[in-house]
Amino acid sequence: MPYKDKLFRLAKRILVSRDEAEDAVQEVYLKLWKGKQKISKYDNPEAFAVTMTKNYCLDRLRSKQAGNLKIVHSNYEHSDNVERKVEARDGVNMVFEIMETLPETQRIVLQLRDVEQYEFAEIAKMLDSNETAIRVNLSRARKTVREALKKQYNYGIK
Amino acid sequence: MESNKIEMLLDAYFEGTTTIQEEQQLREYFSNETVAPHLESYAPMFQAFEQAHKECSQQEIELPKPLIAQRRWWLSIAASAVIAIGVAGYVFTNANQGLTQEEQEALAAFEKTKAALQQISMNFNEGAEELTYIDEFNTTTKKILK
Repeated sequence: MPYKDKLFRLAKRILVSRDEAEDAVQEVYLKLWKGKQKISKYDNPEAFAVTMTKNYCLDRLRSKQAGNLKIVHSNYEHSDNVERKVEARDGVNMVFEIMETLPETQRIVLQLRDVEQYEFAEIAKMLDSNETAIRVNLSRARKTVREALKKQYNYGIK
Repeated sequence: MESNKIEMLLDAYFEGTTTIQEEQQLREYFSNETVAPHLESYAPMFQAFEQAHKECSQQEIELPKPLIAQRRWWLSIAASAVIAIGVAGYVFTNANQGLTQEEQEALAAFEKTKAALQQISMNFNEGAEELTYIDEFNTTTKKILK
């Protein structure tokens, strides 16, 4: 399963819940499997899989079934200094929480660019958009995270 | 890396104009222990992205099997052909020679009976030939009583 983790991370970014994300990935693979003959015609199967995952997750999010999603956090990496570790964990946690509050499109763009490091052209293809729109969304998402983070830090100091 | 270059990169980053390589530089800088104090507030962002990238799915993907069977349809045809040839060969070779003890005895008895019957019929024919002399009586009586 070549893109399993990438698709899973994207699904989890959109759906937040780990279980929901795993179900979504399973479902997407099933769909890809059924359309196996068709997928070989696409020049970029990875982009196609990402697009499918995104659409499926957004559908899930809008359906009534997903009305009671719960937030499940994973464990985070450790660093040497305990004090720093606690601080970093809080900061990182905060970033994840802020990301959850972003509009869906911004969240997806941020995930695809800053987490998965896709080129703008690829993201534009995946989201059926153009590079300028992607850059605008990305800039907004990054700025929102920065502002929210600053606010949290100031609150901690004051 | 000097912090003013990082600041420049950060400005571009928030405008969405950095390349993948430049963003990689930023990630590397913020994953270091020595981050300039006035830039420390940006560190969690890049650390979070790095962490999010390492997250993996634990589940196994289950896919249906039938399509695999369809791909090897010719295998089943080949297998059934081999079986058919095998069965046919077995049947034909047995028809000629594979007789049981009982069947062989029955065959011998049949041959003996046939020979015996043949002999009887030969004797019978001999007797029938002798009977032709009786016709002589008929012809002679016809001559006299004409």
